Formats: sequence, structure tokens, C-alpha cells
Amino acid sequence: MLWLLPLTAMLAAVLALGLRGRIALAAWGTAAMLAALGESAAAVLGDWSGQWGFGPAITLHARLAPASDVLVCLVPAVALPVVLFAAMHEARAGLTRLVALLLFFAGAMQLLVVADDLLTLLIGWELVGACSWALIAHDWRALENPRSATLALLVTRFGDLGLFLAAMTTFAATGSFAFEAIGTLHGWPLHLVAAGLLLAAAAKSAQLPFSFWLFRAMAGPSSVSALLHAATMVAAGAYLLVRLQPVLAGVGWVAPTVIGIGLATAVGGGLVAVFQPHVKRLLAASTSAHYGLMWVAVGAGYPLVALLHLVVHASFKALLFLSAGLAASAGGSALLADLGLGRRLPRLALLSLIGTLALAGVPPLAGAWSKELIGAAAEQWSPWLAAGVLLVGALSGCYAARWQWQVFGPSGGEGGELHARPGRGAMAAVTLLAVETLALSLLLAPPVRDWLAAGPDASAGSGLASALPSETLWMTRATLLALGVGLYAARWLVASRPRLGERDADGALADWLGLPTLVDTAVSRPLARLATAAARFDDAVLDAIPTGIARLGRWSVGVTARGIERVMDGAAEGAAWLTDGAGRDLRHLETGLAHHYLFWIAAGAVGMAAFVLLGA
Amino acid sequence: MLSATIWVPLIGAVLLAAWRDASPRGLRIAAVLIASIPLVLLVVAWVRFDAAADAPLFQLVEELRWISTLGVAWRLGVDGIALAVASVSALVFVAAVAYPPPNSASDEGRLRHYYAWLLFLDGISLGVFLALDLLLFYVFFDLSLVGMYFLIGRFGHGEDARRAALKFFIYTLGGSLAMLLGIIGLVLATDPLTFDMRTLIAAQPLSGGGTYAGLVLLGLILGLGIKTPIVPFHTWLPPAHVDAPGPASAILAGVLLKMGTYGLVRLPFSMLRETFAHYALPLAIVAVVSIVYGALVAWGQTNLKRRIAYTSVNHMGYVVLGIAAAAGLSGQASARAVALTGATFEMVAHALITGALFLIAGAFWQRGGEYELRAYGGLARRAPRLTGLTVLAAFASLGLPGLAGFVAEFQVFAGAFAVYPWLAAIALLGILITAALFLQMLQLLFFGELPARWSGFADLGWSETLVLCGLLLLVVVLGVYPGWALTVIGATATRLVAG
Repeated sequence: MLWLLPLTAMLAAVLALGLRGRIALAAWGTAAMLAALGESAAAVLGDWSGQWGFGPAITLHARLAPASDVLVCLVPAVALPVVLFAAMHEARAGLTRLVALLLFFAGAMQLLVVADDLLTLLIGWELVGACSWALIAHDWRALENPRSATLALLVTRFGDLGLFLAAMTTFAATGSFAFEAIGTLHGWPLHLVAAGLLLAAAAKSAQLPFSFWLFRAMAGPSSVSALLHAATMVAAGAYLLVRLQPVLAGVGWVAPTVIGIGLATAVGGGLVAVFQPHVKRLLAASTSAHYGLMWVAVGAGYPLVALLHLVVHASFKALLFLSAGLAASAGGSALLADLGLGRRLPRLALLSLIGTLALAGVPPLAGAWSKELIGAAAEQWSPWLAAGVLLVGALSGCYAARWQWQVFGPSGGEGGELHARPGRGAMAAVTLLAVETLALSLLLAPPVRDWLAAGPDASAGSGLASALPSETLWMTRATLLALGVGLYAARWLVASRPRLGERDADGALADWLGLPTLVDTAVSRPLARLATAAARFDDAVLDAIPTGIARLGRWSVGVTARGIERVMDGAAEGAAWLTDGAGRDLRHLETGLAHHYLFWIAAGAVGMAAFVLLGA
Repeated sequence: MLSATIWVPLIGAVLLAAWRDASPRGLRIAAVLIASIPLVLLVVAWVRFDAAADAPLFQLVEELRWISTLGVAWRLGVDGIALAVASVSALVFVAAVAYPPPNSASDEGRLRHYYAWLLFLDGISLGVFLALDLLLFYVFFDLSLVGMYFLIGRFGHGEDARRAALKFFIYTLGGSLAMLLGIIGLVLATDPLTFDMRTLIAAQPLSGGGTYAGLVLLGLILGLGIKTPIVPFHTWLPPAHVDAPGPASAILAGVLLKMGTYGLVRLPFSMLRETFAHYALPLAIVAVVSIVYGALVAWGQTNLKRRIAYTSVNHMGYVVLGIAAAAGLSGQASARAVALTGATFEMVAHALITGALFLIAGAFWQRGGEYELRAYGGLARRAPRLTGLTVLAAFASLGLPGLAGFVAEFQVFAGAFAVYPWLAAIALLGILITAALFLQMLQLLFFGELPARWSGFADLGWSETLVLCGLLLLVVVLGVYPGWALTVIGATATRLVAG
């Protein structure tokens, strides 16, 4: 029954291939995601589950855990406005393919979320990766885009090997792929599973050292970025950690590693975002940073906090990417300093402001609440970690303010005519996401949250309350202070260095601190060279062995022939004489009379039969 | 019934060769109809096959006396593994026959011979998979070389077609001579003499081990390994593929290579259980080398067909790894059965996927007369059907879930990991490299600017589309719902592993 969730979106994707025209695609996509949303709600309330026999030894399982309850609803809730936006706004070339792939993307993510074993998870996981390849390469006419897609898929597939390894280890040790089976492991298999899962999650969530693929993913249309950053692909890594945190917590080194990776990415991503001059890449770097914060929360032992931030981030980041797409096509440039559209697009500016305030973490918007909780969780782990989270908060305040001010501020740009005016459908999608962000802000505001956590059911409520860290007044104030510093820095930055990150010197910093160049020279190129060398070796050496043997054979035949040429010659002449004679004799048999031939055929048959019988 | 699957195409081949005043269209339709009969018969066999644990291992057995003093007879029968491999072979043959014939077979007389040789090879190949008699197996195994030799040599393209065909023939003939020595060595240990596979499997004639058993095993593995092919005996494969016409290439990869790995399961794995288990680790190491090295060399190729040919080395490496792991001494029987099931499923998946890829390569040759990847580009503009189907086939080959290759490879990995964890972990690198090489291939062929010389490039015709869709549809079905096939294969695999 639970399989219905992923299947609905996937089937809708296949059927969408028959549709043409913006309105038809928008209607179909919206309807499909509404249906998926309804099914998700029904699945959560009805506690659906599913099984699918994959063979005599292997069965796929689907079940909803609390974390998946949240995600199955989030995916269609974000995908709906994104699909609507794509159908109404993106370029007409390949629009049907784009919408179909977005729907399939959402379906694959649903499959990943409902998975209750490593094999089902792996299937969804890889399908999500393949969809993102096709979506990033969407405009294949410019070779740069498929190249970026390939790089993104290869980096994330390298991480997928970790998931393969985890699944293989679990199966070898327990004979099952179930998530519960991981809990029964101990010794080296458990360590291997934990390491594999971390590798997979880090690559998918664009954590260090894999963060750079997310920049290349910007080659896709902005609707693709919106979905990929918010509710699919990148979200998968954080979801995996949240879902399996109870199992992973038993391995001593996991929590410090997760926190280390998360914090490093959060700080690094924040810095990169501050330096980024590109309207979409700034948001992409901030995605890595925010997922880094989720990793910190999971490492500190509060997966629920990470999940809340995931949901909040999904709504405002999708909003911002769509708005970035509209701004870039309206302003005719993807560089922050060239825009400055606030006066000309006031409604879009206002809607985006909701997103940027949430991104910066300004109360009373949702980002503020979830970030405070992360700060509180970090504080419980160690004051130093809390200080790190504060730094991340300051950075996000800074780049969020820079983005909003430069894209929708009054200054910058030449003014004049807009290249394209956002259509009604696209604006509706953006508005929908803004409303979602506001609704989440309300839900997560401390009074409402506490009331919800206390809940109608006291026993369940207390469990929820203990899953959230208690906040201290000190931390709340420090968070606000850091935010203030960040905003102030942004003001200074925009005024004095509007084109920060566009030149070579700080451009390397903005391009993930030079990481792509490092990977290119240290990994990609040597591997490609190795492949070419292997191909040459194969032709020159391995193929030379049989060829050499053949030559040796021919040579020895030649030697033998020359040596005993005379004997052979004599024999040949003798044979020729013999054949000649036999031929003359045989000519007598060619009488042209059918019964003679028949006789010889019959004789031959009898002879053969006798031969076979004697043998038998 | 099984005899008919062999004789119908053989007789059909003779009839087509003699049909002088046939139109090309008539020839093609007749050939497709004849090639479909074995497929239909095998589907019936599939329905009649009983996968229950207490059913006999070999079913639908047919036996006719032949040379009693030597214990040779016309014996046919199937277990789950033979049934799966034979069925997919029959399907690949239908696809190859239905695909447009190569330009080199265009004139009337040659076309007749082209279809005749295809059907001849069809019957012979099915004989290899259905034979329950070692001598019969060997005869069919060798005759398949003859069929393929003529298909490459007479209908191949390029200046080197004859040479490639001869290299293929001599190399693999050398292999099958080694196998013949192995077979004779094995049979001589039976008393009374018998070539009956069932007796040999039950009797385990050389169960004592020792040098003699080792040599017999070496002969068998050498012969079958060359045919598979495993590194370093693979160098006959790329030239044979490059010069073969598309449909013949599809058969070479889809059917003939399977004879090697199927033979590994049928002969040494089943009949020399102890000795094979003893040497399973070195074989697994060779398999992992084939996987990683094959993928790496494939990535280094700039020629479309050579690249696909080398991915066969990589994929057959998975099969051999699964077989070696299934024979391994450590690891639970259930995990080893999964490895063998995965290996068999990989044979099926590889036949469909690589068959499709080689047919696609044939389409490129028909249109461009060129296999250099860099000569193409931007074809998605001109040929959306070709692009879509190639993307699907490439993703199937790199092991995307939801497609057959993943089901196979995942089981091989999971099963092998229980026996040889390190080797299985290294083998995982193979799926990363294949991803790199296929994505780059798609990029070079279909994306970016369209070179001016291809502005008239034609998309796939309806018969090409139909054939490829048929093959790839089965790839999707087997990837989403593999249960029906895995039940039959798994039942046999469990029994073979248990011994």
C-alpha cells in the first residue's frame, strides 16, 4: 500500500510525456502532487506499510518512521509549487521532459523516504541521483551542462558506494537488509556500515569534501535547483542521518565525525557564500552550510532538531531559488551586482524577503526558531561547538542580507526595461512557498511549539519534548547578537565591495576555496590518464602475447617446411600422381546414369550405418 | 520439445539458404518467424518448469541412444539456470534477425546466407545451453565458432574483418581444445564411461583432488575463460566486435560469451565441486581484475564499439565473481546461493542490455560508417528516439536500480561480500568507472553542438525502434519485478550450492 506514494508520482511522470503545452503540464503536475500529498497524509494517518518480493531471498520493505512521516508530506508540498513554476516559467524547449523528470524525481525521493531497508533505500537513492543527472543536463545543447551533470553524478555515485558497502555488510552479517538488522551488528561490520552510511550521506548532502558538485548542479534550470536543494537529492543525505541516528549513535566515533564534517562545511559554505557573486551559487553554498548545521544537530544527539531545520530550509530555499530564477531572467544577468530589481519587481522582492529573513534566521521567521534549537543542541555538546554555530549564524546573516540587498535593492543595474516579466503562474508558485514558510514560522514559534510538544497525548508529548534541547537565555541573546554582526557586515560589504568574488583573486575563494581545481588535478585527470594508459597497455602488451605465439607458430612452420622441403616435395608429387590416377579411375564412375549414382549413395549409406553399428 | 528448439532453426537455415528467388522482405519475415519458434517453445518450457524444492534438478529431459559404448547420447534437459540463459539467447536471436541486416549483406545471394548463418548459429547456441551430454555440449560449443566466424568474416566491415574473424576463431578454438582435454580427463575417470552430465554431477568423479583433478580443472577453466572472456585472455574480443555487423555483435556479446560462464557453472562448478572450491579464490581474484581493469580499459577507448566490447569484459567479471563466490569454502550457503543467482541473472541482463547496445552501435555504423566517439555529437537534436533508448541502455549497463543490471550486480556483490569481503569491495569500483565511461559516451554522442556532416542523420526506423524497445522493456520488467525469474534461477542455484 505504501508503494502507492512513490508510484503515483512516477506514473504521473510517465503519463506526462504525452502532454504538450504549459497549462496542460501545470495542471497535470499540480494534480499529481496534490494526489501524492493526499496519499501521504493518508499513509501517515493510516500507518501504511508495504512489501515487494524481489526474489526468493530478498524482499523490499516500506514503512513510515516518525522522520519519514514528515518527509513524505514535505516532498509533494515543495514539489507542487516547483512543478507549477517549471511548467509556467521555464524555456519551452524540452518542457515536457523537464516536468516529467521533476515528477519522477519527487517519486524517487518518496521511495527513498518510505524505505525500511537498505536495499529499498539504495534503489531510491540511486534513482534520485540519476534523475538529477538528467535534470542538470536538461539544456544539453550547451555541452557544459551535461559535463556538469556527469561530474555531479560521479561525485554522488562515489558516495553511493558507501551505501552499497553498508548494505552488503549488513546482508553478509545478518542475512537481511532491514534497518533493524544494523542494530544487531557489532565489531568491524558495524564500523564499516557506519562509515559507508556517512560517506553516502556526506556526498549526497554536499558536505566537505564533496560540496563542490552542488555548484556544478547549478547548470540546471532554477526549478531543478529548487527541488534538488530543498526536498530531494541533497535532503536525502540529512534524512538518512536523521533516520538512522539511533543506530549510528552506538558507534563512538560517529558523533564527533558528523559534527566535525558538519561544522567545517557550515563555516566553509558560509564563507564561500559571502564571497559568491552569482545569484544561484550563493544560495547553493548556503545549502551546504545549512545541511552542515543539520549534521551538527544530528551529531549532538538531536535528530528531531535537524529534521525541523530540514523542513524549514526546504520551504525557504525553494522559495529563494525560484525567485532567483525569476530575478535572473528579469534582469538578464546572473550576477548579484547587475540586478537591483526592487523598484521594478516590488511583489517579488517582498516575497523573497520572507525567504531571506528566514535564511538569515531573523525572528519571528521559521529559520530563527530552528537555528536557535541547533544552537541549543550544540551548546549541550560543548561551548566551542556553540561558538561555531554562532559564527555560522553570523555568516548566514551576512550572505542572506547581501543577496536580498543586491538582487532586490534599489541600487545597482542600469534600471531600464526588464528582460522578462514574471508570469502569473510563476508568481503563484513563489507565493505558495512564501505562505508555506510563514505557516512553518507560526508552527515552530516557541509558544505554539511548546503547546504542540505537550500535546493532547501526554505520553507521546513528553517523548517529543525530550527530543528537543532546552534553550538558554544566553544562547538566544548570543544568536541575535551574531545575526546583528552579520547584517552589519553585509551592509558594509554591499556598500564598499559590491563585486566581491567576481575577480580571480577572491573568485577562487568563492569557488569552494579552490576545491574543484584540486579534485580536477588530483583525481579526475590522473584517473582519465590511467584509463588511457590501461587501454594502450592492453593493445601493446596483453594483445602482443597471443599475437606473438601466433607468429612463433608461423615461424616454426616456416623452419620445418624449409628443413624437410625435399621430403615434403617428394611426398606432394607422389600424392599428385596418386590423385591423378584416382581421378582417372573415378571418371569411370561418372556415367551420367541415375541408377549408378543411386547405387553408390546406397552403398555409402550402408557403409556409414555399418560404421555406426560397429561403434555401438 | 527441446530437440525442436535446436532443429527448427537448423532446418530453417538450410531452407533459407536454398530459397533462391526470395525477396529480401520475405527472407526477413521468414527468418523472424523461424527464430521465434524456439523462443515460444522455451516460454512453454518456462511455464512447465517446476521450481519446487523436491522437483528434479533437470526437467523436460529428452534422451536418444547414440554411441552407447562411449556413454554418449542425444541428451537434452534444463535446470533453472539453463532455462534462463537459453530463453534469453533465443530472444536475442529474434532481435538480431528482426533488426535491419547490415549493408554488407544487401545483395540477394548474400542476404540469404546471412539469415541462414544466423539461424544456424541460433540452433547451435541453444544446443550448448540445453545439452545434458558433455560430448554434445562440446560439439555445439565448437560449431558456434564456425557460425560466428562466417558472420564476422563474410558480413563484417572494415579491412580487417577476415583477420579479426580468424583471430577470434583460432583463439577460441585453442581454448576449446584445452576444454576438450579437460572433458576427456574428466570422463576417463568415470566407470563405466559416460558423458551424461547428470551422472557426472552426481558422481563427482575426481572428488579426491590432487594434480590430475587440478589439471582437468585448469583445462576446463582455460577453455571456458577464453570464451567468457576473462583478463588476460580477452584480446580477441574487441577486434571481433569492431568488425562484426551490429546484429552479429549482439549475438557474440549476448549469447556466445554466456557459453563461457554457463559452462563454468555446468562443468567445473557442478562436476568438480571440491577442486573448484579449492581454486575459487584465484578465480575470484581474476574476476575482480576483469571487473576493474575491463572497466578502466573501456573508459580509455575512443571507439564506440570497442568501448562497449570492453564493458563486456567488466560485466562478465561480475558473473565470474558470483560463480567463484558461490563455490567458495567460507560464507553461508544462503549468501553463496544469492551470488550464483546474481551471476545467472547478470548473464540474462547482460545479454539484453549489451545486445541492445551493440544493435545501437550497428545503427551508428549504418548511418555514419564511423565508430569514433569524437566524430559524433549533438545527435539528440536529430535522433531523439535513438538518444532516449541509448540513455536507457547505458543506464541499465551502469547498474541503475529499476533496471535488470542492478538486480544482478547487487546480488553478486551481496553474495560475494559474504565470502570474499575485500574482493567484493574492490569490485564496487567497477560500477563507478562504468558510470564514468557511459556518461562520457552519452555526452560525446548526443549532446553539445551537432557537427555539420550529421545534419542529415536519420533517427531509428520503426523496426529498429521496435526491436530495441522489446529488449529494453524486458530490462525494465526484470528490474522492477525480477521475482518471477529469480524464483526459477534461485531454486536451481540453492541446489547447486548445497551440492
